[in-house]
Amino acid sequence: MPKSLLMISILFSQLILGEIIGELSFDNRYFFNAGLQEQKKNHTSFSFSPEIFQDNSNRIFHFKVKLRKDSEDSGRNLNDIQELYLINILEDKEIKYGVSKEFWGVTETSHRVDIINQTDFTEGFDGEEKLGQPMIKISLERQWGLLDIYTLLGFRERNFSGKKGRLRLPLPINEKGSLYSSSSKNKRADFAVRWSNYYDDFDIAISHFSGTSREPRFLPSANKINELVPVYEVIDQTGLEIQYLLDSLAIKGEVISRSGQGERFTAATYGLEYTQVGVLQSRIDLGWVVEFNHDDRLESSPFVLGTRFSFNDIYDSQILSGFILNDKSKELGFLLEASRRIGECCLLSLEGIYFDDTEEDNGQKKLFQAFKEDDFLRAEFIYYL
Amino acid sequence: MKVLSNLMNKQFIVLAMSMTLACITGDLSANKGLEIAILSDKNNDGFIDSSSTMTMKLINKRGDVVTRKLRFKRLEVPTDGDKSIAIFESPRDVKGVAILSYAHKVEADDQWLYLPALKRVKRIASKNKSGPFLGSEFSFEDFSFQEVEKYEYVYLEEEIYLNNPCYVIERKPLDPYSGYTKQLVWIDKENYLVQKIHHFDRKSFHLKTQLFKDYRKYEGFFWQPHEIEMINHQNGKKSILIFDDVKLKSGFTDRDFSQNSLKRSR
Repeated sequence: MPKSLLMISILFSQLILGEIIGELSFDNRYFFNAGLQEQKKNHTSFSFSPEIFQDNSNRIFHFKVKLRKDSEDSGRNLNDIQELYLINILEDKEIKYGVSKEFWGVTETSHRVDIINQTDFTEGFDGEEKLGQPMIKISLERQWGLLDIYTLLGFRERNFSGKKGRLRLPLPINEKGSLYSSSSKNKRADFAVRWSNYYDDFDIAISHFSGTSREPRFLPSANKINELVPVYEVIDQTGLEIQYLLDSLAIKGEVISRSGQGERFTAATYGLEYTQVGVLQSRIDLGWVVEFNHDDRLESSPFVLGTRFSFNDIYDSQILSGFILNDKSKELGFLLEASRRIGECCLLSLEGIYFDDTEEDNGQKKLFQAFKEDDFLRAEFIYYL
Repeated sequence: MKVLSNLMNKQFIVLAMSMTLACITGDLSANKGLEIAILSDKNNDGFIDSSSTMTMKLINKRGDVVTRKLRFKRLEVPTDGDKSIAIFESPRDVKGVAILSYAHKVEADDQWLYLPALKRVKRIASKNKSGPFLGSEFSFEDFSFQEVEKYEYVYLEEEIYLNNPCYVIERKPLDPYSGYTKQLVWIDKENYLVQKIHHFDRKSFHLKTQLFKDYRKYEGFFWQPHEIEMINHQNGKKSILIFDDVKLKSGFTDRDFSQNSLKRSR
């Protein structure tokens, strides 16, 4: 599979005089302790994402693959077509055909309404790494706003860490045993629509998705004890995104209502973002994010505080910190990430994550219990082609 | 024709404004300062749209140079401030990042940032524009279009600058979020082109000097400086902006400057 993808990419690069870019990344994670299931401490992975982009003003072509190889966890290996699409810009509309990624949402720490693409769950916590989704998208830009109408052709399953992977649920997940509520299984065509517009300092978007849930539920495997299988049900999800700019303060929120996975439920993320430009008479900007979460399915409502120091130097140096508190279970998580450009070609980032492994039993379900041995340091080096 | 009448309207309103101002204040130097600013601003009227590439050289005290590249597109909006898109080409880790701005005459500009890795268009608060642009000595404010209505003016004197007879005017930003308390602007008497600006920071310290060089004329009326230099007197660094491939009237429309269009930039 990777060979054929590579062949295709070489072929395309020969055929098309588009621009070839991409990135090559080396990533090492060092966990301070062995995993709860005796997984190793050191995990290394390489990824390669070449892409071709061609813009002929009313016809745009984009091709991007992502290949990843992990030293320990086969669940993290990836061969994915992230983008392979053509956009036709017509007089009154724009049509995108092919595999692509589409982002919906306004909040920073959690993405509730974002649903077009499947999440690459092995890459990071933020859920921002996605898998390519085949689609036909029609966009209408009018006085009354932007209307995007999607037909999503076929379904991508979520990828999970394997048995030897870290940051995984206590029981292994058998991805091959996935169950579907739709009789067409992963061949079902799904539909989505999103309207967005802005009025002065107020932004709004309303969306609806009808199709196979990107987020599965889990059932014990019928064939094997101590194993889970993902269950992908057909859902209907309506989403609302709003943002209001009050001087330098952004007030924002997104909320969904979903049916099809048991009882209908509501989930929301809302909060504030503020940037102090030139703190203490320096060149440094300090950004603050405070976000609250609610999910009918959970007892806890996690609260997140994030800060970002942007040094505004020629290296684009940044230090990001994140602090998460689960109000009911009293669990804490802390993240620190520093990054800077090296030369003109490369980027280095260092990241540390710490979970407070409180043993105190306060009768509440713990969200980080499964990760309590998974505190880690990570170094990532990216070379841009 | 609509564009033309809009232009005439704009000039008429600004002229009427300047006359009213002069009547109220009776301040001749304010009146003359504003008149010069209006004539200078008029230089750019009627270009319809423009595009160019920009090379930015960031030079530190020791003389080390790093280079950034951008593509820039601009659409004239006769009744309001202009629309523009800046797309980053290099360094490569920010390739495809784009900033869409809708300038406004008085109120704060609207601004969106496109992050290609996440495919996300993010509305950004644009009120506070005093921060550095791409790590350079230019601030976001220096990059935005300097609409006449955003300042108050005082005419100071005439002065010869590089063999050019110039008017020197002082302007004060009306925007409380501006990083500057005042600016001294040298405008040449022949073509009303801005030649030099002294920027004074919030402590009224002469922070930066901006030089406009190599003006070339397009389509018989549109003056584009091909080099803009910004010298920071506080940290000894400077940034040079070089414009190439300047094109006018490519036929851009509002659709090329929408939030949706950002997603097509890569």
